[in-house]
Amino acid sequence: MLRYFTRRLLHGLFLVVGVSLLTFFLLQLAPGDFFAEMRLNPQMTAESVAALRHQYGLDRSVATRYLLWINSVRKGELGFSFAYDSPVASLLWARARNTLMLTLSAMLLSWLIAVPVGLGCGARPGGWSDRLCLGATSSLLAIPDLLLALGLLFLAVRTGWFPTGGMVSPGFDELSGWGKVRDVLSHFCLPVATLVLGTVPVLVRHVRAGVVEVLASPFIRAARAHGIPHRRLVARYALRGAAAPLISLLGLTITTLLSGSLLIEVVMSWPGVGPLLWEAVLARDLYVVVGTVMFSTLFLVGGNMIADALLLAVEPRIRTE
Amino acid sequence: MNTENVTAATLVGHGLTSLTALSVSRGEGRPYVSRSGMTTTALQVRALSKAYVQRRTLSGKTISIEALRNVELTLQVDCTLGLVGESGSGKSTLARCMSLLERPDSGEIWLDGKNLLSLKTSELRCARRRIQIIFQDPARALNPRFSAVELVAEPLEVLRWNTAEARRRRALDLMEEVGLSRQWENRLALEFSGGQRQRLAIARALALEPRILVLDEALSALDPPLQAQITKLLLDLKVLHGFSYVLISHDLRLVERAVDEVAVMHQGTIVERDKVREVFAAPRHTATQALLESC
Amino acid sequence: MTGRHRIYLALGFLGALHASVLLASFLAPYDPKVQDRELPFTPPTRLHFVDVRGRFHLRPFIYTCEPSSMPAAPCVEDRTRAFPLRFFVRESSAGLEVEKANLADRGAELGVGGLKRRHWRLFGVDQQARIFLLGSDGLGRDQFSRLLHGGQVSLLAGILAAGLALGLGLMLGAVAGFYGGWVDELIMRGVELFLALPWLYLLFAVRAFLPLHLSAVQSFFLLIAVMGVVGWARPARLVRCVVLSARERDYVAAARGFGASDAYLLRRHVLPQAFGVVMTQAGILIPQFILAEVALSYLGLGVAEPVPSLGNLLAELQQYHVLASYWWMFLPGVALIPVFAGYYALANALQEGAGVVPT
Repeated sequence: MLRYFTRRLLHGLFLVVGVSLLTFFLLQLAPGDFFAEMRLNPQMTAESVAALRHQYGLDRSVATRYLLWINSVRKGELGFSFAYDSPVASLLWARARNTLMLTLSAMLLSWLIAVPVGLGCGARPGGWSDRLCLGATSSLLAIPDLLLALGLLFLAVRTGWFPTGGMVSPGFDELSGWGKVRDVLSHFCLPVATLVLGTVPVLVRHVRAGVVEVLASPFIRAARAHGIPHRRLVARYALRGAAAPLISLLGLTITTLLSGSLLIEVVMSWPGVGPLLWEAVLARDLYVVVGTVMFSTLFLVGGNMIADALLLAVEPRIRTE
Repeated sequence: MNTENVTAATLVGHGLTSLTALSVSRGEGRPYVSRSGMTTTALQVRALSKAYVQRRTLSGKTISIEALRNVELTLQVDCTLGLVGESGSGKSTLARCMSLLERPDSGEIWLDGKNLLSLKTSELRCARRRIQIIFQDPARALNPRFSAVELVAEPLEVLRWNTAEARRRRALDLMEEVGLSRQWENRLALEFSGGQRQRLAIARALALEPRILVLDEALSALDPPLQAQITKLLLDLKVLHGFSYVLISHDLRLVERAVDEVAVMHQGTIVERDKVREVFAAPRHTATQALLESC
Repeated sequence: MTGRHRIYLALGFLGALHASVLLASFLAPYDPKVQDRELPFTPPTRLHFVDVRGRFHLRPFIYTCEPSSMPAAPCVEDRTRAFPLRFFVRESSAGLEVEKANLADRGAELGVGGLKRRHWRLFGVDQQARIFLLGSDGLGRDQFSRLLHGGQVSLLAGILAAGLALGLGLMLGAVAGFYGGWVDELIMRGVELFLALPWLYLLFAVRAFLPLHLSAVQSFFLLIAVMGVVGWARPARLVRCVVLSARERDYVAAARGFGASDAYLLRRHVLPQAFGVVMTQAGILIPQFILAEVALSYLGLGVAEPVPSLGNLLAELQQYHVLASYWWMFLPGVALIPVFAGYYALANALQEGAGVVPT
C-alpha cells in the first residue's frame, strides 16, 4: 500500500518536473520576449532595452537561465515577472487562492447537485423524469461555456441583480467584515454558476449511466426478488455500485473545471490564475507562464492522486494489485 | 447438403474430385516448396526446455515454473500422435513450441533436415507453413468479421500466392473438402456454429499443405457427436493430403479413437510413449495410471 | 427509432448545417470584410410585408436605417423609400462603389472577395440600402455574412484539428500497442505529460511559444496545428488499448503462423478494430475542438482578424457597452448550439450502436 503511494507520488513529481522543464525550454524558443515589444517604442533606445535585458538576465544562455530559475524556485520565488515587477510566487499565491475558491466550490456544488439528480433519473430509466433529465442535460450540454458566461453577464447587466465582473466592488475597504464577505459572495455567484451549469449535465449523465448499469445487474434482480423495496435498492446498492466509476470521473472533472475556470475568469474578470496566464502569454512574461503552468499541473496531478486514494478506499479489489 | 450429417461415401466422393483438382492444381503451382527427400521422420524435438516467469520478488529473484524439461519427441511421417496429461503437465506449451508460436529457452526442433530454431526470419517464414496449429476455441481463432472464403484463403493471401480469383477457388475447394457448402462463401465467421467454425479452421490450416497439424484441444469445445464427425474428417483428410497430426487433449476416450500412438506428459516431460492400445491397457507410469483412473 | 436511424438523422442534420456554412459565399449577402463606418452597431433589419399604406406585398422589403441621436434607438427606419428583397442577385458594379469608398478608409487593407469576384448571391438589396439580417458590428460589417463565413472557419478548424489529432493518435497508439517495449513506454510517458495539464492551459502553453503576430491565414493553420498536436493523447491511449487486446487474439497468432508480416497484421486485423473507436471519438472531439477554437479566438490567440471566426466574432462582447446594449452580437455564440446538439446526438447514437450506455 505504502509502495503504491510512494510510486504515485514519484510519478506525480516526475510529471510536474517534466512539464515545467518542457514549458521552460519550449518558451525559450519563442521569437521575441517581453522586451521585444518595448523596442517598438521610439523613445526606448536599443541600448536601454539591452540594459534591461541584461538586468533581468535574458541575455544569458538557456542552461544558465534554467539553473537560475531552479534556484529561484528553491528560494520560493518561482522566477520574476517583468510585467508586474515582482516575484512570480507572490503573484501566484493570491491568484491561486481565488481560482481554488472558485474551482473547489464549483466542484462541490456540481457533485452535490448531480448525484441526487442522476440517481433520480437513473432509478426509473425511460420514465418521464428520466426523459426530462436527458432533455435538459442535452440542451445544457449544447450551450458552450463561453456563451453561458456571456449570457449570465448580460443578465446581470440588464437586471442589476449581480455585479458584472471582478471580485470586489469599489469601496470594498470601507465595508464591514460581514459586508466584505457579502460583497465577495455576490461577485462569486456568476462565475460559480457558469462553472456549475457547465459541469452538472456531464456529471448527471455519468451518474445516471452508472445507476442504470448497476440496476440492470443480476444481483439487483435477486435483491428485488427478495422483496427489498425499490427506493432502498437505489439509495443503498445502486450508489455504491456506481461509486467506483464516478470517482474515476473525478480526475476528468478537475481538468474540465480548471480549463473552464481559465476561460470564465477572463470573461468575468475574476482575479484568478486565468487572467494572469492570459496576460502573461500576450506579454511574453516568461516566468509567469511557466509558474502558472506548473501550478495547474500540480493541482491536476494532486487531484488525480486524491481521486486514486478514494478509489482505493472504495474498491478493495484494486488493493491486491 | 446438411454438413453435420456427411456420410463417408459422399466425403470420399468429394475427396476423389478434390484429389483430381489437387493434382491439377499441383501443375499450376502449389503454395509451398516440394518435399525434400523421403525420410520417415516428420518432426523431431530434442531437449526442449521452457520456463515461465511467475513473479519477481522484492529482492529481484525470479520465481519461475518449468513448463518443459528436456522434452524428446519424434513424430513419424503419416503418424498420428496423441499428447495427454493432467493440466499443467506442459502439453499446451509443447504444442505451441512445436508450431513455433512460442520460443523455447533451449533445445532443437528438426524438420526436413533443418533446425527450425536456428533459422533466420525469412527462412523461418517458409518453414512455418509446414506446421500449422488449430486452436481450441474457434470463436477466438477466427476473425469474426472475415467471411468464410476470406478466412480460408488468408494464408494464401499472406503468401500472395497466385491471383485473387485462384485463391478464392482454392478456398472454396477446401471448404467443400471439410464439408461446408460453397454457398456459404460470403457468410461471416460469427454466423457459423462452433462445429462449422472448427471445420473452417481446419480448411484454413490445410491451405498451405502442411506436413504436420497440431490440434491444441481442438475438439474439446465440441459436443460428442460433433467430436466423432470431426475426428472422422481429420482421418479422411489425412489420407487425402498426407500429413501427420498431433492431438493434444485431456479426454482419453477421444484420443483413443483419433490416434495411433499416444505420449503421456507429466510435469514437463514425456513419461510414456507407445501405441495407444498398449498404453491404455498396460500403463507403466504412475501418472498414466492416475489419468486412466480419473476417466 | 432504431439506433441506425438516429445516426442517419444526426448525420443528416449536421450535413445540412455544414452545407449551409460551406455555401457561405452564396448565402451571405455581403463579403464579410466589407465595412460601412456609417452604420456601426445597427440592430437587425426588420423585414416588412405590409407597407405604410397598408398593402400586403409577397416580396418582403426593408427600409434604410438612419443613425439617430436618440439613445434608446441607435437608428430609425426611414419609411420614405422601400427596398424590396431581391433574390439571386449578381454582385453588381454599383456594389463595388461602396468598396472603393471604403478603400480610402482602410488604406492598404484590401478584402479579397469584394473587388475581384462577381458571383451570385442568394439574396440582396439595392446598393443604397443595407440588409443586416443579424445586425452589424462596430465597423458596420454585416453580422449575418460574418456568421456564415465565421462558421465556415470555426467548423473547418474543428474538423481539421480533430482529424489531425485522431490521425496522430491512431498512428502512435497503434505503434505503442503493437510493438510494446520501450516504444510503448516512451509514447505512454508522452501521453501522460500531455494529459498532465488541463486542456486549455496546455493550448495556452503551446500557443505561448509561437509567434504572436501572424497573418490571418497563418493564424488559422497554426491554430489547427496546435490543437491537433495537443489533442493526440487521449485518442492514442484508447487506440493503444484496442490494439493491445487485438494483438493477443488467437487469429493474429494464427496469421503469424502463416508467415504474416507485422504490416499485414496491422492492416488486416488490428487497425480495423481501432477504426471503430476512432470514429466514435470523432463525434466527441470535433465539438471540443470547435469550442477550443472559439475560446482561443475570443481571447485573441486563435484566428486573427480580419478573417471571421465564431470566436473572434464574440470578442467584441469583451467591451462592456457592447455586452450591455447590442444583444445581436451574441448570435454567433447562439449559432453554435445546434452544431453541438447535432454532434452530441451523433456521438450518443454512435455509442449506443457500439453497445455502450451513452453518457
